[in-house]
Amino acid sequence: MGNIVVLVKASLNPEIVRQNPDGTFDIDYTPLKISDVDRNALEEAARLRQVFGGKVYSVTVLTWGPLRAREKDLRLAVQEALAKVADEAFVVADESIIPGDYTVTANVIAAVIKKMGLNPSLILAGEASIDESTYQIPGRVAAKLGLPYVGYVKRIREVRGDRLVVERDLEDYIEVLEVPLPAVLSVTQEVNEPRPPTLIQIRMASRKPIHMLTLKDLGLDVKRQRSILDMRVVTVSRKQVLIEEASMEKAALKLVEYLEKEGVLRF
Amino acid sequence: MGNVIVVSQRPSDAGELVGLARSIGDPVIVAFQDSAERVEELLSYGYKVYRVKSSRPEVLAKAISTLYNELKPKLIVGPNTRNVKDAMAWVAGLHDIHMAPDVAGVRVEPDGIVYKRGFLSERVTMTVKAPYPAIILVNPRVAEPAPREGVGELIELNVGDTMVRVLEVKAKELSGVNLEAAEVIVGVGRGFKAKEDLSMAFELAKLLGGQVGGTRPIAADLKWLPEDAWIGISGKRVAPKLYIAIGISGAPQHMSGVSGSKVIVAVNKDKSAPIFKQADYGVVADLYKFIPALIDVLKRRRGST
Repeated sequence: MGNIVVLVKASLNPEIVRQNPDGTFDIDYTPLKISDVDRNALEEAARLRQVFGGKVYSVTVLTWGPLRAREKDLRLAVQEALAKVADEAFVVADESIIPGDYTVTANVIAAVIKKMGLNPSLILAGEASIDESTYQIPGRVAAKLGLPYVGYVKRIREVRGDRLVVERDLEDYIEVLEVPLPAVLSVTQEVNEPRPPTLIQIRMASRKPIHMLTLKDLGLDVKRQRSILDMRVVTVSRKQVLIEEASMEKAALKLVEYLEKEGVLRF
Repeated sequence: MGNVIVVSQRPSDAGELVGLARSIGDPVIVAFQDSAERVEELLSYGYKVYRVKSSRPEVLAKAISTLYNELKPKLIVGPNTRNVKDAMAWVAGLHDIHMAPDVAGVRVEPDGIVYKRGFLSERVTMTVKAPYPAIILVNPRVAEPAPREGVGELIELNVGDTMVRVLEVKAKELSGVNLEAAEVIVGVGRGFKAKEDLSMAFELAKLLGGQVGGTRPIAADLKWLPEDAWIGISGKRVAPKLYIAIGISGAPQHMSGVSGSKVIVAVNKDKSAPIFKQADYGVVADLYKFIPALIDVLKRRRGST
């Protein structure tokens, strides 16, 4: 049937948000990690690779700098893809596409797929990244490549010849769809239960090729659309009062007293 | 001024979107799903309404792409629903235009749109400028609703076949709770060991005149609650006066959904759980012991007044 391409993002980690003294977001010192739902896409590729019979490639575009400081985090994310399922990884790291721009990222991914001759029968991605959560890259890539696109896939039911039967989880209802291949699918976290790669898989991954690319290698000229004017850390100023009582009744009475003072309890 | 395409999935989302569009240019409305069925409500804004008789994202995408070529709009605005996000991603890709969902504030400038949106599970707010044309999907209450004082014109928009074929449509199991409007919400997480145990949360919510919502694992994975009770970045965003998080660790994907709450209470037996740093009042206790005690105290208080 053919090859599978999995889109993997090294996202800024929302659990480790760093702040400059002036309250702005310190992007340079906030670490990157693989987007959680990309693991579901990789797991699904591992499940389907037997049936597809071809190679599995991962494609990653670095969208956050500084480039020289991101090498380690980027490698960790890509190696997880290699350990889990990918035979080869393609990584685009180029100053001119940092910080990321949705239009540019989609064009770069489409260019990697076309120019590197990946020839996929299926392109899998997570529904959204954990940093920007804009849910748009998979759909854009499909449009760029002229392929059918199904987002929010919560289950891939079966491979029926050159078609897939999938369940799409929309706003108010679920659809069962038949999608002709090649196609682009974005998956939700409900699609499977990702298993971490085994030690043997992790060891094998270090021998698999990582192709580092720049825009020059892709013969691509890009025009960024957005300018980020400001990024500010939202400060939560919660009271953080702790109630620790051996007696549950005492704890409950204390809590009720606090809540009455706040004026949020009515009897 | 330029055209602005307003995408409406439900008549209730249209007022504010038309209001926003009017401040930027000349609106035309694209109606699908519920809005397509109740098109007369949309016609009363006094603009052209294009009706798409399917709610599938690929059909909507093709319809809007056709209109885009015809009208050359300055902006496309729409609600943050899955159907619209999916359709607009494809339109944005096809026409190489900027797109931003979950927009919380908009400012119009001559050479582009300036908007604010949450970033990193809303722990950071990003302000961005993007050139026209662009696609902006806005949160509720960003704009003033437009008055309904006109007579619009209805135009049917038909698009051809799509590559994707529908075999079956299944309804989702929904509870119909309106968490967005609730003043008190009891939130449940993985600290609960079994579905039956949620009855404690429901009893507590009832005593407080509130509703029950849950984290992604509870609502989407385990399905102990209907999906419309899912609170978080991919679920509902709520803003009650009181949010009581029970057995919830405090992952950013969940907490971003409750950041608008006035008072947050956390009940967790793990003192190092991140939720205690994001709560006003934290009770370090086993929920199985504390919640019955709290219910008792509330019942006694209620009885004595």
